[in-house]
Amino acid sequence: MKTVKILGSGCANCRKLEAVAREAASSAGVEADFVKVTDMKAIMAYDLLSTPGLVIDERLVSSGRIPTQAEIRQWLAG
Amino acid sequence: MDTFLRLMNGGAGSLAAYLAAHVLLCLLPAFFIAGAMSALIPKASVTRWLGRNARFRVSYPAAAVAGSLLAVCSCTIVPLFAGIYKKGAGLGPAITFLFFAPAGNILALAYTGSILGAEFAFARLVLCLLFGIGIGMLMAVLFRRDDASHDAQTDALFAGQVNIDPAAAGVLLSLAAVLIAGTLKLWPLSATIGTVTLPLPWAEAWQATLFDWVPFDASKGEEGVSLQGSLLIVLLVLIGATAWKGLEDIVEGANRWTAVALGLTAATLLVAALRLTPGADGLEVALTGRALAVGLSLWAVLHHARRLDTDAWRAWLWEAWRFVKQIFVLLVVGVFAVGVVRQLIQPEWIQNLAGNNDLMGNAVAVVFGVFMYFPTLVEVPVAHMFLDLGMHRGPLLAYLMADPELSLQSILMVAAVIGRPKTFTYVGLVAVFSIVAGLTYGAWVDGVNGAWIAVGLAAFVGSLVALLGWLLGHRQAPARA
Repeated sequence: MKTVKILGSGCANCRKLEAVAREAASSAGVEADFVKVTDMKAIMAYDLLSTPGLVIDERLVSSGRIPTQAEIRQWLAG
Repeated sequence: MDTFLRLMNGGAGSLAAYLAAHVLLCLLPAFFIAGAMSALIPKASVTRWLGRNARFRVSYPAAAVAGSLLAVCSCTIVPLFAGIYKKGAGLGPAITFLFFAPAGNILALAYTGSILGAEFAFARLVLCLLFGIGIGMLMAVLFRRDDASHDAQTDALFAGQVNIDPAAAGVLLSLAAVLIAGTLKLWPLSATIGTVTLPLPWAEAWQATLFDWVPFDASKGEEGVSLQGSLLIVLLVLIGATAWKGLEDIVEGANRWTAVALGLTAATLLVAALRLTPGADGLEVALTGRALAVGLSLWAVLHHARRLDTDAWRAWLWEAWRFVKQIFVLLVVGVFAVGVVRQLIQPEWIQNLAGNNDLMGNAVAVVFGVFMYFPTLVEVPVAHMFLDLGMHRGPLLAYLMADPELSLQSILMVAAVIGRPKTFTYVGLVAVFSIVAGLTYGAWVDGVNGAWIAVGLAAFVGSLVALLGWLLGHRQAPARA
């Protein structure tokens, strides 16, 4: 069971990132718990300068962009 | 019923004017530039100048550059603001960044320029830059103790050393060329190279129908819908429909709708650059220098874009499309609403309140700006309406500085990051500086001698410094005792 956090205050890119991440998880057959983090203080606890940010098991794997499904599958596998 | 029709006509007329050729030639490239900036300029290329150890001579200009290049949307503004404040160069540069971002970004500049004139866009840019840095420095001095006590965070966040890919730079420059070729009102661009008359006998009748549908009053500065405008509206609707299929999932790859949508966009720009005149014997199409220049620059964009990485161009198109979805729809609705409201406001009201460049006029403009919240860019058509109704250009600038900087939404957001006392100080400073900016620009428009303006500004800065000195002495006195 992985924990996937989407960091972002609800902008269009955050919603898109969540959709892409959910698809990646289901296509890779990985069970994951999705958490949306919208509080600015909680977001800034991670080292990022622009949202959306993607955190998998407390590790920030991407920020400021929408990764492709293939990338997310790799991170989920790693 | 008559009133209702009049209001609807006002809305439609104002919308038509905003979908006219010269606005599209500026807005369409600006959306693609904004997308390219947010996708293709690595943030580290600017943020490495914003670390905790950056000197203030570097960090303040860098903060302004970050505001104009990186911060086209709120996804970047808030986190970058919080990051600079908490982990980077501190409160001052963070405030400079926050203040300059809404006025210095490409969409705001291009749009202000095409609606209110290049001179006005330039004044907005320069005054926002100067005052953004000034307010940032003032805040840093006022709250220097809180700033020093910040936890010494790792500098790794700001240490990245990335350069811009040459292909990305090429794309950005050629997009800028499209924008310039489309908007400058200069000789080789406005010249007519040749004309062709298409045998379209319905052209003149169609134009008459359009004027019948959307009646307009040229003396009020209203524009009607031209035949060219109606063609552009059709093209825009087609772009919207195809872009939805072609760009919504661009991150996973392009499909044939992508090519159609981009082709239509290029066609729209070319049509907007031509001059179409309906006449008795058909439609006269004039090939302008502008059309040639736009065509050449579009070719340059394509040439450079082909050398981009797959991920890079997909991210670019996604960001551009996201801006269109986020801003354009609200802009269309906003422009329509402005046209409706325009019919209800008596010019005398505006002229009495802010027809002159005095303290009251500027203050009223700023207060209006603080209490009204308009979506991104809608402040520009609102300002245009005020200008039409007889507002002086000085208060107009004061309004344009205060409105995007200070809305209830942005005040709450800033308060969450830096706390209430700092936020209220910031709001007060922005209000004062906006009024001063309005008075300054208004005096310039009225033809006041440049030397007097300089003396006035110097007096303002001097009294501010004196006040600050007094305040600081006051604050520190109890600490020493």
